Amino acid sequence: MFFRILSVFGFFFLYAPIAALVFYSFNASKLVTVWGGFSTKWYGELFGDPQILGAAWISLKIAFISASISVVLGTLAALIMVRFGRFKGRTLFSGMITAPLVMPEVITGLSLLMLFISLQGLIGWPVGRGLSTIVIAHSTFGLAFVAVIVQSRLVDMDKDIEEAASDLGARPVRVFFDITLPMILPALVSAWLLAFTLSLDDLVIASFVAGPGASTLPMVIFSKVRLGVSPDINALATIMIGIVGLGIFCATLVMLRKSSREG
Amino acid sequence: MTHPNPTDEKPWLDIDRKPFIKIRNLTKKFGDVVAVDNISLDIYENELFSLLGGSGCGKSTLLRMLAGFEIPTSGTIEIDGQNMLAVPPHARPTNMMFQSYALFPHMNVAKNVGYGLRRDGLQKAEIDIQVSEILELVQLGGYEKRKPSQLSGGQRQRVALARALIKKPKLLLLDEPLGALDKKLREETQFELINIQETLGVTFIVVTHDQEEAMTLSTRIGVMDIGTIAQIGEPQEVYEFPRTRYVADFIGSVNLFEGRVIKDSPNKLVIESPDAGINIHVPHGVSCSPNQLLWFALRPEKFEISVAKPKNVTNLLKGTVEDIAYLGGQSVYLVRLETGRLVRTVRANRDRGAEAPITWQQDVYLTWARSAGVVLTS
Ligand SMILES: Nc1ncnc2c1ncn2[C@@H]1O[C@H](COP(=O)(O)OP(=O)(O)OP(=O)(O)O)[C@@H](O)[C@H]1O
Ligand SMILES: [Mg+2]
Repeated sequence: MFFRILSVFGFFFLYAPIAALVFYSFNASKLVTVWGGFSTKWYGELFGDPQILGAAWISLKIAFISASISVVLGTLAALIMVRFGRFKGRTLFSGMITAPLVMPEVITGLSLLMLFISLQGLIGWPVGRGLSTIVIAHSTFGLAFVAVIVQSRLVDMDKDIEEAASDLGARPVRVFFDITLPMILPALVSAWLLAFTLSLDDLVIASFVAGPGASTLPMVIFSKVRLGVSPDINALATIMIGIVGLGIFCATLVMLRKSSREG
Repeated sequence: MTHPNPTDEKPWLDIDRKPFIKIRNLTKKFGDVVAVDNISLDIYENELFSLLGGSGCGKSTLLRMLAGFEIPTSGTIEIDGQNMLAVPPHARPTNMMFQSYALFPHMNVAKNVGYGLRRDGLQKAEIDIQVSEILELVQLGGYEKRKPSQLSGGQRQRVALARALIKKPKLLLLDEPLGALDKKLREETQFELINIQETLGVTFIVVTHDQEEAMTLSTRIGVMDIGTIAQIGEPQEVYEFPRTRYVADFIGSVNLFEGRVIKDSPNKLVIESPDAGINIHVPHGVSCSPNQLLWFALRPEKFEISVAKPKNVTNLLKGTVEDIAYLGGQSVYLVRLETGRLVRTVRANRDRGAEAPITWQQDVYLTWARSAGVVLTS
């Protein structure tokens, strides 16, 4: 009984604000907390705002590119950790790969910023900060998540299935593309979706490594909200919830299809 | 009709013959576990060599080293005169059937079976023909489009077998290839394996738990005991002349009587066996130290069981029938000796129950030909 009450409370605090936010995004009134009838005008206003549209486009671009880079590099890291046996410094390697998971974002952001600045001083690249530095930063921490997800999938997978392929004459690279990749594909899809959403809603790291002209959506929202919450932000948030929800839904679907096929 | 030269059929008897597989001082350790312990073994071309042994004695590990999946801790493997140490699995002239089947879950049966041929770059039409031939062979025609998850255990096993057979490699390594098949299908597949071996000239190494299967299939049997090879020999040799108690007990069933030597001459050995309650006479010596502890091993079917007391026999045991198991072709009689030892004997059921004078609790006599047993010193 106690647990039931507790979980009701938990879910309430989790979802009530979100529900309220979605609800008020359809509010006709300009006052965020006063209901003034149903309207979709804030959505219209949102799509008429070039600053927000530009930021959204930048955010999506960054999320797409960095999620893709994360998946490639994270998968490589996971393969090295699981399949290449015990090499010297393996524990250190896996520790370093997964460190960004627990590192405070402020520290990650700050250290990356300092890295970029000193790199620019040393080799002249990256020139200033902008889209590419955010992509690099998001790729590094997305990589950690991807590595963990793919690693757990690889550990589950029987090694002798890959051995059977090499026994039948497939070289290691061939084995990877014929056997390993199709079998871990669902994990890669959900890892990509996770990296994508993480990048999409990151504020802290992006704020550190962004430069002029490369403000992401969360950065724009944050700066707007500081001037007072306006209802079009509610509309924007609702759209983002929709996108993220769709992503999670797809990831679950992929996972379910996979387990029903193998089970 | 010409009679083949005996060393053509039994190349292991010919010391000049080059072995096809030459294993020397092979050891594999997993941390503290010694899975394979200093094994040396020669296997010849066209052999069907069975590896037998209890669970965890290192059979799979030995096969996996031959296929290249485990790197030996020490020792060498040569296949067809070539040292295999630096050769990766995909370049070895071997194919393996895995104990776990290791089917590719995302490919259907035809794709699984044809995978090796696709890697060899064969034309699709050619692959299709060979795949359907081999699936016919393992009686899986019509299952081409199924996924492994849609097959029964025995069907999966046959897919794994077909996938290993299809490339017709020089050396086939089969890890328990027929374990999940029913008796009829198993016998047919055994027959097919022998067929393939004879027509294609493939060398087989087969791991099995089933000693009857090992007997029918193999040219030779290797009995493994925790990482080592306890005995290698032709099926009959291993069965009739086991070298240790482990081998005698592992291949078939056996009655072991412990005893001490009281007389040892070149053509006569007498063992005093408190176990049997008599002195056992054997028509050959073993040249051991006096009073040495040894074991007299006798297979159940070597006993002559009778109700009337036989005359003029040297080895005679008396006991009471404690249990009878009717097995169709033969019956097993468990006889309790006067010493309290339980002895297992087998008798063929020649008449259809008409005679059968031996029943429960009946006193019976057991005898055997003097040369029917084996004396074991370890
Ligand atoms: N990868 C491994 N890591 C550690 N120990 C292992 C590994 N593979 C096998 N072993 C150990 O080596 C020993 C031999 O194993 P192996 O699989 O060769 O036995 P087996 O004779 O094939 O047994 P079974 O008949 O049950 O298949 C066992 O004690 C096993 O626990
Ligand atoms: Mg095994």
